[in-house]
Amino acid sequence: MHATFLNLAVVGYVAATGLALAYLVQREEWLHRFAAVATAAGWVAHTIALVALGHELRRPPLASLPEAVSVAVWVLVLLEMWVGRRGRLRVLGAFVLPVVLVFSLKSSAARPGLELGPALSGAWLWVHIGLALIGVAAFALNFAGALMYLLQERQLKARRPGALYYRLPDLDTLDRLTYRTLAAGFPFLTTGLILGVLWAGTAWGSVFAFDPLALLSWVAWVIYAGTLAGRAAAGWHGRRAAYFSIVGFAALVLTLGAGLFLPGRHGS
Amino acid sequence: MPLFVAGLNHRNAPVELREQLAVEEDKLRELLGDVAATGAVREAVVLSTCNRVEVYGAADVPGEARAVAFRHLCRYRGVDPATVEPLLYTHLEADAVRHAFRVAASLDSMMIGEPQILGQVKDAFALAQACETVGPALHTLFTQAFAVAKKVRTETEIALHAVSVSFAAVELAKKIFAGLTGRAVLLVGAGKMGELAARHLVEQGAFPIYVANRTWARAQEMARALAGVPVPFDDLEATLPGADIVITSTGAPEPVITRALVERALHGRGRPLFFIDIAVPRNVEPGVNALDGVYRYDIDDLRQVVDANLRERLREAQRAEALVEREVGRFVARLGDVEVIPTIVSLRERLEEIRTAEVKKALARLPGASPETRETVEALSAAIVNKILHTPITKLRESSRAGASRSWLDLVHELFGLGRPR
Repeated sequence: MHATFLNLAVVGYVAATGLALAYLVQREEWLHRFAAVATAAGWVAHTIALVALGHELRRPPLASLPEAVSVAVWVLVLLEMWVGRRGRLRVLGAFVLPVVLVFSLKSSAARPGLELGPALSGAWLWVHIGLALIGVAAFALNFAGALMYLLQERQLKARRPGALYYRLPDLDTLDRLTYRTLAAGFPFLTTGLILGVLWAGTAWGSVFAFDPLALLSWVAWVIYAGTLAGRAAAGWHGRRAAYFSIVGFAALVLTLGAGLFLPGRHGS
Repeated sequence: MPLFVAGLNHRNAPVELREQLAVEEDKLRELLGDVAATGAVREAVVLSTCNRVEVYGAADVPGEARAVAFRHLCRYRGVDPATVEPLLYTHLEADAVRHAFRVAASLDSMMIGEPQILGQVKDAFALAQACETVGPALHTLFTQAFAVAKKVRTETEIALHAVSVSFAAVELAKKIFAGLTGRAVLLVGAGKMGELAARHLVEQGAFPIYVANRTWARAQEMARALAGVPVPFDDLEATLPGADIVITSTGAPEPVITRALVERALHGRGRPLFFIDIAVPRNVEPGVNALDGVYRYDIDDLRQVVDANLRERLREAQRAEALVEREVGRFVARLGDVEVIPTIVSLRERLEEIRTAEVKKALARLPGASPETRETVEALSAAIVNKILHTPITKLRESSRAGASRSWLDLVHELFGLGRPR
């Protein structure tokens, strides 16, 4: 049953992405409305799929990386709907949904493994994964905000307004969005990673056991930590902060990609 | 009874002629009264602006109505009707409806999306109402035209983007800052356009306003006018770090604000800095734009933005046209119904008359009938009438939507002896 609903969710996200991108170039009210409906419908189907999967497996659907990515996407869509509505950021979908789509396609193509290794148990493990995932979802929004900032900044610097100039909000709003998502995602990622290290120490016998995902995720963490420190202490803002957000998210995507494609303990 | 619009506008008539034909309110009243008195039109509204002179009306013979109206107008203004006549356009029925909607929605304006025209149409309509030349046809037409105009305004961005340089600057500021409330403005120089841009910013909540000028008295004077603070010209460097938006419009031959000056002002600053350089030669060094968080627009850049805004308006106008087209379709369908409704009403009345008379006769022959029997007879007769009427009424409505109601109306009136249709 979860497979059917997961497919429905993907269908919803595909429709939502198409509509949101169309809304970016063609400002028709109905495109935005339908995109919002498709997003919400996809998210509901996704919720049902995850609940069904958890029921089937009798554990949170977080043990394998495809499962975990699917949950991260679910959190991301929820955040997108919330932030888009609250901040009246109608174009947000066009920047977040493509990310949603890439990851939901990937996670639904790789069917979740059903057996659970002996190492994968204990409540701390679920907390580790859950917190890291919320962090990842927040950073996906952070990436979208940074991308929008850079696009709008470029238009304003070039002094030749294109279609996006009219669609995108002002720089202040976009800069605030990137700062807030960074500040919100960072504690989740940090706690998630620390729990992961502690857990690895007890389960794998070594804190430094070679695992591509674990190592790369620290690289991403360092980039985000640097950006946050730069913003909070050195007054970084705007373009520089946005570039770092993009690099950080690239590292994060690489991390998840490494987990999905390279042999390692996370890929089980 | 056909709706029509006849007139001329900025596209087909030279400004000299439009000037001559433009009439003030008193004359307009007279014109409406005179035209109505001829009996050539049943209803009339005259719209007279600097860009158009148009008669909206409902008349049995629109051509005659048009000739009468413009003959009167030409006589008032001493214009030879022969020069006006060949320029006049006439739209009938659906085309007239479309024209009215497009004019009210500012799609037919010289500057598409300009907001004044709707008010002018409303005034023309109110005046005609006061002169009692508005009947049901024009009343429905104009109320709907106002509704369509409002819809166009809210659902498209036809009137959203600035088409003047000073407003374009304000819009740019709004794309850089989240709201202008509390943004500090520094106005350098005393140019008219600079003052205008500053005034727009103040209206949007910008505060405080610093005014710098080489002539101290002039700085004080401008500061008073803008409720701002005069700043000595030599203190420019000290004031710059506190400003968010800088407008320059001095006559200086060399840049007043150099890159080095701005670099110093940016030190330890966390907010963007927006330069609006209206002066020619330019007052702000162009290299300033390369600095992180600094945006510098000169007069040519602002004109480019205005051009882009105009293109955006035209794009939106395409959408507005589609919207108007849908509304015209709807309105014409309803208008058709309006045409057949009197016939439907008299048809119903006629058959109801027959029915009540016959029921009365029948019941008179049944003196001992119980209330149930009476009720049954009533219901039976009513049901028969309704069944018989159903198809003709549906056909009438359909025919009117297809635009062929005339022959059907005649036929129905003939068949049921309803007298001549209106």
